[in-house]
Amino acid sequence: MIEAHELTKRYGDKTAVDTISFTIPPGSVTGFLGPNGAGKSTTMRMIMGLDRPTAGTVTVNGKPYDHHRSPLREVGALLDAKAVHPGRSARSHLRTMAATHNIKASRVDEVIDMTGLHKVANKRVGGFSLGMGQRLGIAAALLGDPRTLILDEPVNGLDPEGVQWVRQLVRGLAAEGRTVFLSSHLMSEMAQTADQLLVIGRGRIITAGPVQDVIDSVSGAGVRVRSPRATELAALLTADGATVSSPEPSTLEVRGATANHVGELAFAHGLLLHELSPRRASLEEAYMSLTQDAVEYRSEPTSTASQKGQNR
Amino acid sequence: MTTLTTTAPAVTTPPASRAGAPAHSTFAGVMRGEWIKLLSLRSTWWTLAVTALLMALISLAAASSLGAMADDPVMAPALAEMHGAEVISGGFQIAMLTIAMLGALFITGEYSTGMIRSTFAAVPTRLPVLAAKAIALVVLTTAVTLVGAVLAYVVTMPALAEYDLVPPLDDPGTWRVLAGTVYFLVAAALFSLGIGTLLRSTAATVTLALTVLLVLPGLLSFISLDWVETIVSYLPLPASSAFIAAGGTSVRGVALSAQEGLVTIAAYAVVPLVAAAVTLRRRDA
Repeated sequence: MIEAHELTKRYGDKTAVDTISFTIPPGSVTGFLGPNGAGKSTTMRMIMGLDRPTAGTVTVNGKPYDHHRSPLREVGALLDAKAVHPGRSARSHLRTMAATHNIKASRVDEVIDMTGLHKVANKRVGGFSLGMGQRLGIAAALLGDPRTLILDEPVNGLDPEGVQWVRQLVRGLAAEGRTVFLSSHLMSEMAQTADQLLVIGRGRIITAGPVQDVIDSVSGAGVRVRSPRATELAALLTADGATVSSPEPSTLEVRGATANHVGELAFAHGLLLHELSPRRASLEEAYMSLTQDAVEYRSEPTSTASQKGQNR
Repeated sequence: MTTLTTTAPAVTTPPASRAGAPAHSTFAGVMRGEWIKLLSLRSTWWTLAVTALLMALISLAAASSLGAMADDPVMAPALAEMHGAEVISGGFQIAMLTIAMLGALFITGEYSTGMIRSTFAAVPTRLPVLAAKAIALVVLTTAVTLVGAVLAYVVTMPALAEYDLVPPLDDPGTWRVLAGTVYFLVAAALFSLGIGTLLRSTAATVTLALTVLLVLPGLLSFISLDWVETIVSYLPLPASSAFIAAGGTSVRGVALSAQEGLVTIAAYAVVPLVAAAVTLRRRDA
């Protein structure tokens, strides 16, 4: 359980996180979405006590993170796959963290096996690929067998098999009753993994709720209709209070009316339909629409350099 | 609030690990973590080996030049006053540099690599980390200084014996020089650790630490103003001669007593560490 209350972080006169309040419930996966620079990483760092909030509070499992006697047993975090000294082996890195909590060496071996790092465990981390670094970060997060997991972009740099592994891992952890809070830029991945979403833009919460609700709240349930007598149908629907647009001749995009309703209306007026399909926006579309005003670092058509943004 | 669309809840954590012996965070654990950090880096071992070897080599060079000193009518009187332990600890200025690097990198290495975020995630109260690092440095610096001194003793023995300078082990003077050397090098390590925790950047820390430890005493010695000479007397290296040098030394500026020297050196270790402790909790990692 993570609870934030009017959490705020300002760097100089730039407000990174602006009085946000939210609750991340246990037993489910909560996705954290937002463009680069929206305040995701800053929020996660404040939860972990790495950044001090300018105002407001955030607690994990009922207490501020640094008030826990054995914090690694409460929260496991992957905030940055590079939070490792490159000169140390993966095993030594995990041992330094395990030692602080008197966690047994056998648990270090366990998380190494769990994350598939056994072949490289004694190699220096400096030579690791991004994917291996992510696995090491996840291993470190699992080390204390924590009740709450915070994962910032866990699938970044993983191959498809690794992406699927992370999905099963976090679903499994949530099924065990743990709190899982993860951010990702891969919307399709988030749609498959998360139970609910927290969408943030320019430091403020744009929307929150179950994944499907978030999608529907943006796009509404749309209906696509093709008919040789589209114009007449459009007039009828508009009169009925629906919003109709026509992307191409004899095709209508209808909002504010169900497919059933459109079909009944057409039948009642004897209008022939060639297609009648309910359309649900993808999470990606919903996300784009939600955050289009909140994109801090928009890539110019000619350049993709700013995509990476400032992600620490 | 949620509807679980569970696919395959792969049980990833064996329940046994949860039921096992409760693992708690303790200071002993933090201490052990810092030991593993130090000893699991090759650079630590290199630094320690180089420190001990340089101490032995420099004292060997000093011992080998005793002959030239004896033949030189100007230097010969100094030879008569010399204590053999000074020859043995002669490499301490070089050791000061490598030890200061070790102390600085122990913390700045964490900031430059991002390791500090893993460290503070495990120990969010932060101060135990600084304390554990300081203790680890004290132990390691003491150990490597002793090893270096033993090495130096062995390699310089023949040359020292020729001039009857082998430091007697039952002479308090011998142990005073050795203890003074250890004390000074421990302080140099803690000074760098404190500065490193304050500045967080390796380049800035090494520059500042080496300037204070090595560059300033030499640079300012060309200035004959009274107040500059007073400042120089209180810089670490000149201040250390108040308790490391067994015989009299020619000091310009203020002649510190051994106690004053010890206190001055302690201040170099303690003041940056206290300042670091105060800022460490408040700053964003």
